[in-house]
Amino acid sequence: MPVVNIEGKTVTVARESTILEAARKAHVWIPTLCYHPTLPSLGSCRICLVEILGQDGAPGPLVTACNYPVRRDITVSVSSERAVRVRNGVMQLLLARSPESGELQELAHRMGVGGTPYPKVTESQRNCILCGLCIVVCEEVIGASAIGFAGRGVERAVASPFRQASETCIACGACAAVCPVGTIQVRIHADTGEAEISPFKSRSKLLICEECGVRMVSVPVAQAMSDRVKIDWEEFRRLARLCPECRRKQAVKALSLGAGEQSVTPLEKIKIKES
Amino acid sequence: MDRELVAQIIGRYERDPGMLIPMMQDLQAEYGYLPAEQLRELAAELAVPLTRVYGVAMFYSSFRLAPKGAHEVTLCMGTVCYLKGSPRISEAICQEYGIEPGGTTPDRLFTLQAVNCVGACALAPVMIVDGKYYDGVTPESALEILSALPPEDDTPEVAEASVNAGSPAAGSGSKGEGS
Amino acid sequence: MAAATATSVDKIIHSPKELEAYRNKLKAKDKKNTRIVRVCIGTGCAAKGSHRLYELFCEAAEQAGSSNGGTVVIQSKHVGCHGLCELGPIVVIDPGQILYHSVEEPDVAEIFRETVLGGRVVEHLLYEDPRTGEKAKTPGEIPFYSVQKRIVLQHNGRIDPTSIDDYIAVGGYSSLAKALSSLEPEGIIDQVEQAGLRGRGGGGFPTASKWRSCRRAEAPEGIRYLICNGDEGDPGAFMDRSLMEGNPHSVLEGMVIGAFAIGATHGYIYVRNEYPLAVEHLKMALEQARKFGFLGQDILGRGFSFDIRINRGGGAFVCGESTALMASLEGRSGEPRTKYIHTVESGLNGRPTVLNNVETWANIPAIIGMGSSEFAAIGTERSKGTKVFSLVGKITNTGLVEVPMGITLRRIIEEIGGGVQGGKAFKAVQTGGPSGGCIPAQHLDAAVDFDELTRLGSMMGSGGMIVMDEDTCMVNVAKYFLGFLKSESCGKCTPCREGIAQMLAILERISKGEGELEDLDRLETLAELLSEGSLCALGKTAANPILSTLKYFRGEYEEHIRNKHCPARECKGLFLYRIDPEACTGCGICRKNCPVKAISGERKAPHVIDQAVCTKCNTCFEKCPFGAINKV
Repeated sequence: MPVVNIEGKTVTVARESTILEAARKAHVWIPTLCYHPTLPSLGSCRICLVEILGQDGAPGPLVTACNYPVRRDITVSVSSERAVRVRNGVMQLLLARSPESGELQELAHRMGVGGTPYPKVTESQRNCILCGLCIVVCEEVIGASAIGFAGRGVERAVASPFRQASETCIACGACAAVCPVGTIQVRIHADTGEAEISPFKSRSKLLICEECGVRMVSVPVAQAMSDRVKIDWEEFRRLARLCPECRRKQAVKALSLGAGEQSVTPLEKIKIKES
Repeated sequence: MDRELVAQIIGRYERDPGMLIPMMQDLQAEYGYLPAEQLRELAAELAVPLTRVYGVAMFYSSFRLAPKGAHEVTLCMGTVCYLKGSPRISEAICQEYGIEPGGTTPDRLFTLQAVNCVGACALAPVMIVDGKYYDGVTPESALEILSALPPEDDTPEVAEASVNAGSPAAGSGSKGEGS
Repeated sequence: MAAATATSVDKIIHSPKELEAYRNKLKAKDKKNTRIVRVCIGTGCAAKGSHRLYELFCEAAEQAGSSNGGTVVIQSKHVGCHGLCELGPIVVIDPGQILYHSVEEPDVAEIFRETVLGGRVVEHLLYEDPRTGEKAKTPGEIPFYSVQKRIVLQHNGRIDPTSIDDYIAVGGYSSLAKALSSLEPEGIIDQVEQAGLRGRGGGGFPTASKWRSCRRAEAPEGIRYLICNGDEGDPGAFMDRSLMEGNPHSVLEGMVIGAFAIGATHGYIYVRNEYPLAVEHLKMALEQARKFGFLGQDILGRGFSFDIRINRGGGAFVCGESTALMASLEGRSGEPRTKYIHTVESGLNGRPTVLNNVETWANIPAIIGMGSSEFAAIGTERSKGTKVFSLVGKITNTGLVEVPMGITLRRIIEEIGGGVQGGKAFKAVQTGGPSGGCIPAQHLDAAVDFDELTRLGSMMGSGGMIVMDEDTCMVNVAKYFLGFLKSESCGKCTPCREGIAQMLAILERISKGEGELEDLDRLETLAELLSEGSLCALGKTAANPILSTLKYFRGEYEEHIRNKHCPARECKGLFLYRIDPEACTGCGICRKNCPVKAISGERKAPHVIDQAVCTKCNTCFEKCPFGAINKV
């Protein structure tokens, strides 16, 4: 198993682990933006660049910690002059692009970057750092592929096809959850009972609680969930009449015998009140 | 919408999603551009997300999502033309036809392009229609010229480089040509 | 992958012996009294109407053939790019290799009567050396060709690129036969290594090393891919176009040899969208190669199967980068990815892949044919063989040249290129396209090879060589390339996407006279950021045009900033127009055409430009019939 020497600390990691994983194991902080633990690493924002040192600490290449695979013993410097200079330069470029993001400014502050000498050079896609996390989560985790990159270079944008409200968006808010700079927001419209994903303009009706009328989740998400969740209500009621200990025993028995197919209760049979 | 055409094209490439770009090239060769409906059909038939098809259409320069007009109208925005009022001409045209600079009229009569100096400053303001230069143009005269445009393109067709054509395209203006 | 179509069982060559027999049969057909007219139909000459010339020659040949009872056999061939595109259409007559240039339709009858039938030379169509006035009959007498060493281009202009028979007759596919019959895959890689071949697409990576890594990589289901990168995107470069158009079989032969060496099962040729003729000739070549059994199952009886398909690009310079190209082949946007895991290990569809440039592949049959030591005898210590360059710009002889590595820039520009056009002073030569840099006059005696050009602050690149003269503004050159890169950047990584736009914004200010001296530091800071932080080579090298022009022409930048003056008098608004009172005849043309009425003067008296009113539109400069207006 390869050994990673990072900022004077040594950790052993599994082969093909990333430098970032090694750093976290060693409690060494490396800034990240386009990285998310549940999603494939893109290596696009470049804010996690670190230096791999050669023999006797000789300078070496700068690599992105989030996706560089460790295959042999290496020495990594996070605080080398070169690595710091380049990471700070990247942050300065991002601050010029996304001047209004509080999250970005916080990260900049933590990195020791005060401000940016660069002017804004594009009006396209305000405050978006084009990291692509929203796109990846929508495609790989949610499976809706409602948004994607459109165009090239500095005028590139994140958009739904033909810039129209997406037909596949289920307003789950995953994109907003992973957006590192707070650009994507879920807005609740009280008057129409809808959730809107800004800035993509897609809207979905919200499910409200039968009892108290509070808004819970969008209808498409509820639909998707119930399509995937299968509950046998008879079995449920039977188990409810047992004490926790006996319930556990039943579960163990069911697992060890290899439980057969459970019957499905379709959504229509469960009463939902939509506003 | 021609469902059959899309099915045909997909079949030509053994339904391989990796051949998306050649499929889109064949589609564009048929229509002259990529109609949104056809792209939706392509995405559905091939079982790839529409965002991917749209993303590819937006990434590569050769793909057009809007048809070009029958005529090409170029307005010069160089310094002298600018000083002599070409922005007002642009405004007038855009207002009359309901387009933006760079756009094409809804009836596909013409596409309006703005360029930075065509090198004919003595003719300022300059408007070029299908290669013909008009000098000293005003908003009124520009609109007059455009209203007289025939609906069909009656200038000899400039052969667009088409792989499906049997004979090599002459003077295709390849970007790799020596300058 | 299209199945191998064997339409005629007679055609398939099952062994090297059969190939030899077929070749001898073809050569036997060559009669001593055959006269051949070769008309170039490369894209450059075709644009000037060479197809029509070919038709006319065919007609003339038919008529003559039917009237002389077969004693003289006349053949018309259409051939691929000779390289001297400046002087197209080019026609070469054999016997004698008489070369005629700038041929027009009325010339056909004269050429046919005098040269083809009569064996006489038509003087006015011969090449004339502009410096000596001497006429040249054959290519060997023209400095443009005589200084070249044409290995990769040796058959361009001689064979009909749409005829596999032509290719076989001049020895085509004999290297494939030799490789498959007398060498093992590792042995072939050894030959390529000993030959010292380095990639010709710009990276200059040792080819054998790449092949060996791929061969040794784990290949689930035994699948390995081989790709030919024909996405030649550098503006001003057309070497690969000419190879694909003019001798497509040489590329295919190289690929099949490579596939055997690596153990590849599937091949792709990725051709730029803007090269329709190249695609057409490659398609024809593929069909012919399949017919002959050089592609498909059990090639030449060696039990090795391989086939190739062609994909066209969609219009994206970044797809010349290997991982972006592979993304494009997977039906995606051409975004590069990090190469911490090399593509020889995990490339197209996650499988081991070798990607090489067109010219690299075309070198392979030559290496196997002549042997590695003869190949390695050409060139310098670390750059073996030849390189094809497209010599363009302010040069007398624009065209395609192939020279041994190590030749000096001076020989290329002065001897082959005929020097700078119009007698102007040489200023710089730009190599390596948007990833390269400008080399000034003081380095004209530098040897052209991979390492030397890099040492000078440029790079070999794919072979574009753009000559610039005293009227070229180097700030404008940098601005041009940055503008190009801005529109071609894929946008994935921050330094390239944002940094190029920032650098361009600075250059635009400087070229408008709004620059500050600190801007030069800002450019250098951004340049460093891009080269260290970018994900792919496009971003990493994007600042080279700026860095190299700053290195050699810093004074020009400073002049733009300090004095708001463009010394080359190219940047609009940063130089003045002044009427020379000695040269001015007072004709008044300038005054009448000036759109802002800035010129005044009496008839027949020297006119004057009012600098306060002048908008520097250039109209007077263009209109003056006496050249009396100077840019100062």
